[in-house]
Amino acid sequence: MHIDELERYWLIAVSVTLGVFTAALLASVFIFGVRLPSPVGRIDPTNLENTEFAEPGLRDMGDGQYTAHIVAQMWNFMPREIRVPVGSEVLFNVTSRDITHGFFIEAHNANLMLLPGQIAQVRVTFDRPGEFHIICHEYCGPGHQNMFGVIIVEDPATAGITE
Amino acid sequence: MQAVQSPQRSSAPVVFPRVGMLTSERWLIGVHVMSALFALSIGILMGPFQTFRRAPAFVQAFPDWQIPVFSYYYQALTMHGVMNALFFTTFFIVGFSYFVTQRSLQRPINQTMGWIAFVLMFIGLGLILYAIWTNQANVLYTFYSPMLAHPTFYLGLVLLAVGSWVAGAAIFMAYIAWKKEHPGERVPLAVFAILVNQIMWQICTLGVAIEILVLLLPASLGFLFVTDVQVGRALFWFFGHPLVYFWLIPAYVSWYTMLPTQAGGKLFSDSLGRVAFLMLLIFSLPVGVHHLYADPGVSAVSKGIHTVLTFVVAIPSFMTAFNVGASLEYAARKRGARGPLSWLFHQKWGDPVVVAQLGGMILFIMGGFSGLINASLTLNIALHNTAWIPGHFHMTLGGAVTLTYIGITYWLLPMLRGRALYSDKMALAQVWTWVVGMLIFGHGMGTAGIAGAPRRTDLGAVPYLNDTMIFWLNSSAIGGFVLLISSILLYVNIVGTLAFSTKPYDYEPPIAHRGDPNSPLWLERWGLWIGITLFLILIAWAPVFVESLNFVDGFNAPFFDPARPSPITP
Repeated sequence: MHIDELERYWLIAVSVTLGVFTAALLASVFIFGVRLPSPVGRIDPTNLENTEFAEPGLRDMGDGQYTAHIVAQMWNFMPREIRVPVGSEVLFNVTSRDITHGFFIEAHNANLMLLPGQIAQVRVTFDRPGEFHIICHEYCGPGHQNMFGVIIVEDPATAGITE
Repeated sequence: MQAVQSPQRSSAPVVFPRVGMLTSERWLIGVHVMSALFALSIGILMGPFQTFRRAPAFVQAFPDWQIPVFSYYYQALTMHGVMNALFFTTFFIVGFSYFVTQRSLQRPINQTMGWIAFVLMFIGLGLILYAIWTNQANVLYTFYSPMLAHPTFYLGLVLLAVGSWVAGAAIFMAYIAWKKEHPGERVPLAVFAILVNQIMWQICTLGVAIEILVLLLPASLGFLFVTDVQVGRALFWFFGHPLVYFWLIPAYVSWYTMLPTQAGGKLFSDSLGRVAFLMLLIFSLPVGVHHLYADPGVSAVSKGIHTVLTFVVAIPSFMTAFNVGASLEYAARKRGARGPLSWLFHQKWGDPVVVAQLGGMILFIMGGFSGLINASLTLNIALHNTAWIPGHFHMTLGGAVTLTYIGITYWLLPMLRGRALYSDKMALAQVWTWVVGMLIFGHGMGTAGIAGAPRRTDLGAVPYLNDTMIFWLNSSAIGGFVLLISSILLYVNIVGTLAFSTKPYDYEPPIAHRGDPNSPLWLERWGLWIGITLFLILIAWAPVFVESLNFVDGFNAPFFDPARPSPITP
C-alpha cells in the first residue's frame, strides 16, 4: 500500500502527540495523584435506613479530617448545607435514594455520578474560604434545576466561629 | 427528466440515468430524506428556544415566555435530542446509504426490504412523537434507568433499530451480489465506508437492544420492577459512542468520495481512506467507558483502557484531515492557487454544497479537540456533565455531521424533486449563519461549563449561577438566535425547492462506480476485521459488565416516573 511521504510524517506527528497526551494522563494519575471515581461498595437504595446513610451529615474525624455522608434524592441533597473550616479535608460518601443524580462541587474538581445501588466517593480539600455549591448535574425530573446544596468554608480568623 | 419504472424483481441489469432518477429510486430515497427533514424540523426548532430558556437575561426580560408547543423544558429537550440525534440521523443515513450503494454498484437494493425497513422506522417515529408529545416520555434521549417512559417510547426506539437492521441487511445483500459478479474488483470507497458503518451499527445496537428489551420495555409494561442502573448505563454507552461514528461516517463518505469532485479535484489516497474507515470500525466500540468516567461502579483500570483506545480512534480522524485537506489543496492548485497556504482560500466559496462541508470541517476542528479533552480521563473530572459537553457535541454532531448532511441535501433534494435548488444565495447565508451561530453557542456553552454550569438543566432562573455562567449562558442564547435564523433559511429553501423552484437541475450525482484498483484487496477481508473488532470488544467491555453486575443481591433499584419521587411498585 502506497503511503505518501508527507502523510507518513503527519501520521508520526499525530501518534507522537497522542503519545504525549497519554503520558500526561499517566503523570496526572501516578505523579500528581488525581483520582477517578472507583468502586467502593454497593448499597440497597430501598433500605438506606439501615446503613451508614441512615443519618446523613458531617462527622469530624479530628485533625482537619471530616467524613460527609450525603443522600441525593428527588430533588434535594441531604444535608443541604455543610460547614467546614478552611483547610479541611472532607471524604464525601454519596449515594442516591431513587434515580440517577449528579454531584459536582463548584471550583473543586469533584464530579460524580450518583446511581442508586452504588456508593460514590471523593476526597476534597477546601483551602480557601467561601460558599461553594453542590450542583446536581444529571437530569432527574421536573425539580432538577432546584437540586443543589452548599458547602460553606469558614475562615475561623474572620468568621470568629470555631468548631 | 427520466422516469423509468424499475423492475421489482429482475436479474436484468438496471440502468440508472446519469442525470435524473428512477421512479423507484426517487420514492425510496425520497421518503427517507423527507422523514429525516421532518424530524429535524421539530428537533432543530427546540434548540434555540432552549438557549433562550437557559439565558438569565432572557428569562428576566420575558418571565412568562414559554417554548412553543413543548412548554415544559425537559419535554422540549427530549424532543430536541430524540428527533435530531436519533431520527433525523437514522432516516438520513439509511436513505443516503441506499442512494450511494445503488448508484455505486449500479444495482438496486432489495426494494421489499427497503420499504419494510422504512415502514418500521416510520411507525417508530409516530409512536415516539406520541409518547413525547403527551408528556409521557420526559426522559431525554439517553433514557437512563431507573426513569421510566411510556411503552410507546421504547417501542418506537425498537422499531427504529429493527428497521435500520433490515436496511443494513439489504445493503449487505447488494454488496454480496455485486461481489459475486465482480470477483477481484475493489468495491468503491463510498460503499466500503457504508459497509463499515452498517457492520458497526449492527454490533453496537445490540447493547441498547438488550437494555430496552430486557430492562426498560418490560418495566414500562409492568412486568419488571427492579433494575441495575450501572449495567443499564454500560449497555447504553456500549451503543452510545459507536452511535456518533454512525453519524460521522456518512459525512466522511461525502468528504472522501464526493467533496474532492465537487471541489474540482480528486481524492488524495483511496487506500488510506479505507484504512481510516476500518480503524473507525475497530476502535469505535471499545471506547464507550469514556462516557462513564464519573460513574462509581466502573474501575479506574477500565477507564484508563478506554481512554487510550479513544486516543487511537482519533487517529482516523487526523488521517481524514490530511487526506481530505490534500484533496482540497490539489483542487485549489488546479485552479491556480500558488503560495503555501493560498489553497485554503482558493475554494469554491460560491457553491453551497462545498461551503456547507467546509463549514462543517471548521466546526469539526473545535469538536475534535474538545473531544480529545473530554477523553482525557483526569481533565474530564472538571467537565463531565457540564454545559461544556453539549458545547462539544454541537461542534461534531451539530456542526460537521449536520452541516454535511445539509450540504448533501442541497444536491440530493433537487434530484429528488427534479428541480434546481430554490436559492443558492439563501443556502450560502444558511451555512454561514450556522457556522457563526454554532461557534458563538458552543463557545458560550463551553465557557459556562468550565465555570460549572450543568448540562441538561433549565438554568434561566436557578439560584446557584455565578456571574461567569450568566454571561456565557446569555452569550450562547445569541448563538441560538443566529441558529434560529439559519434554521428558518434552511426550511424556506427546502419548501422553496419542493414547491416553487422552476429551473431544472443539470448535474450528475458525485458518485464513483469503481474502487481504486491500487487499493489492496485484503482491506476487504471483512471476517478478519469483524473478528478483531469482537476481540477488542471482549477485552474492553467484559470487565465492565462483570464489575457492574451485582452477583450477590441481583437487581435492587426500583423504577421511577421522573415526575414523582416515589418508586413504581407492583
